[in-house]
Amino acid sequence: MASPASPSSVNTTGSTSQAPAEKPPTPPVNILPSQLAQTYSYAHPAILLGLGAWRFEALVADPMRELLADLPWLAALQISYVMLCLPPAGAASVEAGAAADEEKKKAPRSPSGPSVTLRPGKPGYRRKQTSGKSSWTCVWAKLMPAFLSLALTSLLATPVIAVLLVLFGAPLTTHNAETILCAAHMALLSATALVYVHGVDASVWKEVWGIARPADAVWGSALGTGLGAWFGAIPIPLDWDRPWQAFPITILTGAYIGYAVGSLVSRTPFIYGKRIQFAPEQTEEDEKKTN
Amino acid sequence: MGLFQSSWTTLLANVLIPVGILTFSSGFFPYKPLLSGLATFDEGDQDATSAVFDKVVFMVVDALRSDFVYSNESGFLFTQSLIRSGVALPFTAHASSPTVTMPRLKAMTTGSVPSFLDVILNIAESDTSSTLASQDTWLAQLKARGDQLVMYGDDTWLKLFPGMFGRADGTTSFFVSDFVEVDQNVTRHVPTELAQSDWSAMIMHYLGLDHIGHKAGPRSSYMIPKQQEMDAIVNEVYTAIQQQPHLQSTLFVLCGDHGMNDAGNHGGASAGETSPALLFISPKFEALGVRQESPIEAFDDLQYYRTVEQADITPTLASLLGLPIPLNSLGVFIPEFLDMWDSRPQQIQMLSRNARQLLNTVQATFPGFAFDQEAIAGSCATGADSGIEGAQCAWSQVLQLSSGDITNDETSSALESALLRFSRIAQDVMSSTASNYNISKLCLGLVITGVAALLVFPSTYYECARSTYTGVFLAFMIVGYGSMMFASSYVEEEQQFWYWICSGWMFYLHIRSQSPRTGSSPTTGGLFLRGSKLATLGLAVAQRVLRRWNQTGQKFAAEPDIARTFFPAHPAVFWGLFMFTYADAGYHLLQSLPPAAVLKLGGVALTALAFMFKLNFVANDSPELLVDSFLSKTAENWPESLSLVLQARLVFGGLVCCAVLAIGARYRPSTKRVVSNTLLHEALHLFLMTQSRATNIPLFLVFRVAALILSSMRLTGIEVTITTLILQYTTFFAFGGSNAISSVDLSSAYNGVGSYSVVMVGILTFVSNWAGPIWWVSAGHLLRPQDSLEDHNSASLLTFHVATSLMSVMAACTALRTHLFIWTVFSPKYLYTMAWATANHVGVNLLGGAGLSSLRSRK
Repeated sequence: MASPASPSSVNTTGSTSQAPAEKPPTPPVNILPSQLAQTYSYAHPAILLGLGAWRFEALVADPMRELLADLPWLAALQISYVMLCLPPAGAASVEAGAAADEEKKKAPRSPSGPSVTLRPGKPGYRRKQTSGKSSWTCVWAKLMPAFLSLALTSLLATPVIAVLLVLFGAPLTTHNAETILCAAHMALLSATALVYVHGVDASVWKEVWGIARPADAVWGSALGTGLGAWFGAIPIPLDWDRPWQAFPITILTGAYIGYAVGSLVSRTPFIYGKRIQFAPEQTEEDEKKTN
Repeated sequence: MGLFQSSWTTLLANVLIPVGILTFSSGFFPYKPLLSGLATFDEGDQDATSAVFDKVVFMVVDALRSDFVYSNESGFLFTQSLIRSGVALPFTAHASSPTVTMPRLKAMTTGSVPSFLDVILNIAESDTSSTLASQDTWLAQLKARGDQLVMYGDDTWLKLFPGMFGRADGTTSFFVSDFVEVDQNVTRHVPTELAQSDWSAMIMHYLGLDHIGHKAGPRSSYMIPKQQEMDAIVNEVYTAIQQQPHLQSTLFVLCGDHGMNDAGNHGGASAGETSPALLFISPKFEALGVRQESPIEAFDDLQYYRTVEQADITPTLASLLGLPIPLNSLGVFIPEFLDMWDSRPQQIQMLSRNARQLLNTVQATFPGFAFDQEAIAGSCATGADSGIEGAQCAWSQVLQLSSGDITNDETSSALESALLRFSRIAQDVMSSTASNYNISKLCLGLVITGVAALLVFPSTYYECARSTYTGVFLAFMIVGYGSMMFASSYVEEEQQFWYWICSGWMFYLHIRSQSPRTGSSPTTGGLFLRGSKLATLGLAVAQRVLRRWNQTGQKFAAEPDIARTFFPAHPAVFWGLFMFTYADAGYHLLQSLPPAAVLKLGGVALTALAFMFKLNFVANDSPELLVDSFLSKTAENWPESLSLVLQARLVFGGLVCCAVLAIGARYRPSTKRVVSNTLLHEALHLFLMTQSRATNIPLFLVFRVAALILSSMRLTGIEVTITTLILQYTTFFAFGGSNAISSVDLSSAYNGVGSYSVVMVGILTFVSNWAGPIWWVSAGHLLRPQDSLEDHNSASLLTFHVATSLMSVMAACTALRTHLFIWTVFSPKYLYTMAWATANHVGVNLLGGAGLSSLRSRK
């Protein structure tokens, strides 16, 4: 990739300086610092996987019914997770800023640290928000984004993911209900947290579309869901004639596993904050090769 | 020049690849050692058994699947009445893979299990080394007795048995579009031959039913009338046997050589392909009192009545005709016919002759195992009931029982079952060890290919290291593809891998184009930039359409697709797309031709001619596509005087002119470099369309769109190489290709060919099956960035991919050589890989690519 690729060899820091006119990119999101949030953020993927394993037999027996019946529970779990563990949209920048301040004390772990601290944060405004919170406004500030994320996930993310599923090979003329339900599950897994944290920030969604978000628990789990679903297609052609090889089951299993792995791996210091891009970096190889 | 500018290691590796293939093949496809000479009766045998019949009418209906005769949807009504009255004994004859005509005829006449090599020889029809002239068959036995044989139908018989037949009229089986004449050519001889009394074997081989299967599938509307036509011939022959005094002791055998799958093809090992019908018909059988129910409700696994091996025909026929059983036969006498001999000792003698003949073949193959009484006395202690130990045990029981009193009913029936048991075990043992591999040659071939891969590894690694992520993707793909070769279902469903990888690669290109630092350079316009943001979406849609065009493989082959389900249901859409594709091809051809009025006119004429040829071809070949469409009138009005062969030759001639023009333009200073390359590409485009099935032609439109999008993405050299590599494989499968022999498309192999010529037909067959890959090799050269051509060594990368995939297929074939599916899945895959590595890789990718880039780089 000699001549056309030469711009691609510019690394991360070069990229931020290249687009000075636009507002700086949204930094990676941190889990809320409270003890409960930290603990539950690790427990949540495990709970989802456990529930998935528990319902697997029922899923194989009657995929449509089980997927439909699971939807409200999955939605409730995801909503409680995001409300408990993640900063809501709008507060995101503030919380992230505050978190970044704390992070600085702990360890210089975030490679995207510079871009975070260089953001034009407004210290006074931030302090007022965080210190003077009454419990009601706090809950309200979380409920609104939660409802927004549910609405957008079901109305927008589900159809988009369904279309993507079809483009990646899901049947178009049959199994439509399965595809939609599979997309709904994947949307709840991936989009709920993204919308809750980022709202409708166009620049963030542009990054999401371009798979260019910096790694964090939210983006990692979303990307993991997609990758897992892609790898989930592998067992389908085998001639084992098992009922679980039917269309949406392996895809969804892959998506759930990918979600859990993605959300955990992307928080490790080694990955956190990095972006997939065409620069010679070794750390993101896995994500890269599988797109 | 491209080939030679790449380093000597690449060159050497590509010399080593064919060497490795040859070495491996010689160890993998050995000629089986055969007992030579003709079998003779032992002393005393001759008197004990007498022939039940003195003449045989052997009627083969190609691809006569069991349900075509036996089910309640059959057109064989007269034959079914014969089954009901007990005059005809019905069986399902298991035809082992490869289910193509020549090996099946070998099985039915010699009784042996043919080697896989026969498949290749079946396609390379002119080969004469595979004749059965020197082998022991029931035909040779008849001939040796001084009898006369006559043959009408498929000329494969004439090739297999040169000089065997006193009177014969062969029809060639490769013009698959003819349903009528091939059969009339046989039927017109039947009345005269039935009136003659000088022959003792009359062979008829009808091809029409098979052709209908290939063209239109088993559910085609032509099928029932063809079955009725065949039934009428059965009626004619049976009536003659009943009425003519010289035919009163005639055995009439009606059988299929193989079946067909639901798509109408054969070659593989699915139930449909391996289950032909087999009927023995004679008024004498009425005495056996076997009256079977007929017709039977159709069912899926097609095992109607009792299933016997196809090889069993040989000893049964030989015994009924009073001939010695051919030496290399692995057949077991069909015990239903034992009652044709009245005395018990005679029946036992029939079986024991069969068993001793099988024992001879077993002993020839396993010289290390003794079968005399003392040696095997304790062989049943191990409890083996199969394999060579099982055969020893069964034979010891036979010896034990035959020393007893045969006239005793109890002993004789015990002996009968022991003989049959031994024969069946021996058949099993011999069929499964039909090939003995030369392991050292297999390993040598593997090592040579490994060396080829190692030779290009450094330069491949260098290429990959220069662009990390692309390299990692390529490594992931190569490792995934290689490991896939060891699982039979992934080999059968290889298309799924390429569709999966292709969708992944599209996603990769998407990220790449979204990334602000790569993709379009800032100098290009805003509109272009925005277009390319969504470009990959278009690519993904194109890829998704390709994926559904032809369902292929095994597991999902019967599911609806565009070419076989949607188009027949919506002919207007199909013909619209069809015409649009030709219009598009013509437009681009005109654009790339030099601006001279004569040439432009020639371009229009050429496209119109190609279009008319395809239309007439469809009208001839699969008229069901034309029914009710607005084009059927046009096809009807076309002058009959221009034969299809002539039309195809005119098209090819015009295309050659284009190619000459393109190469000539290279030497004229005034023309631009791009012109000649696009002209070549457009000529190739039209050529590949001519060589493709009509329903696949709109795919070229999809290709055009995909290539347009890709060209807007400014791919780097290595990305172009990987994109075209993935698309080569993807489009091969999108055209309906698979790793089964049965999916080889022969319908366009005879375009413009008047008489059979191995080279021409071979090339045309390759082109019509690899049309997609060839197109993308050519398109890849146009996509390649102009400036960095010298920089990127695509040859070594492609060579590395081919060498590693060849290596893994060879390793899989070596490691799994005793696997159940070795002949049905892994060997066909090896044959396909051979074609990929030699014809597609060395021939098209490297030599063709080198030709294109030398044209391009010359100033």
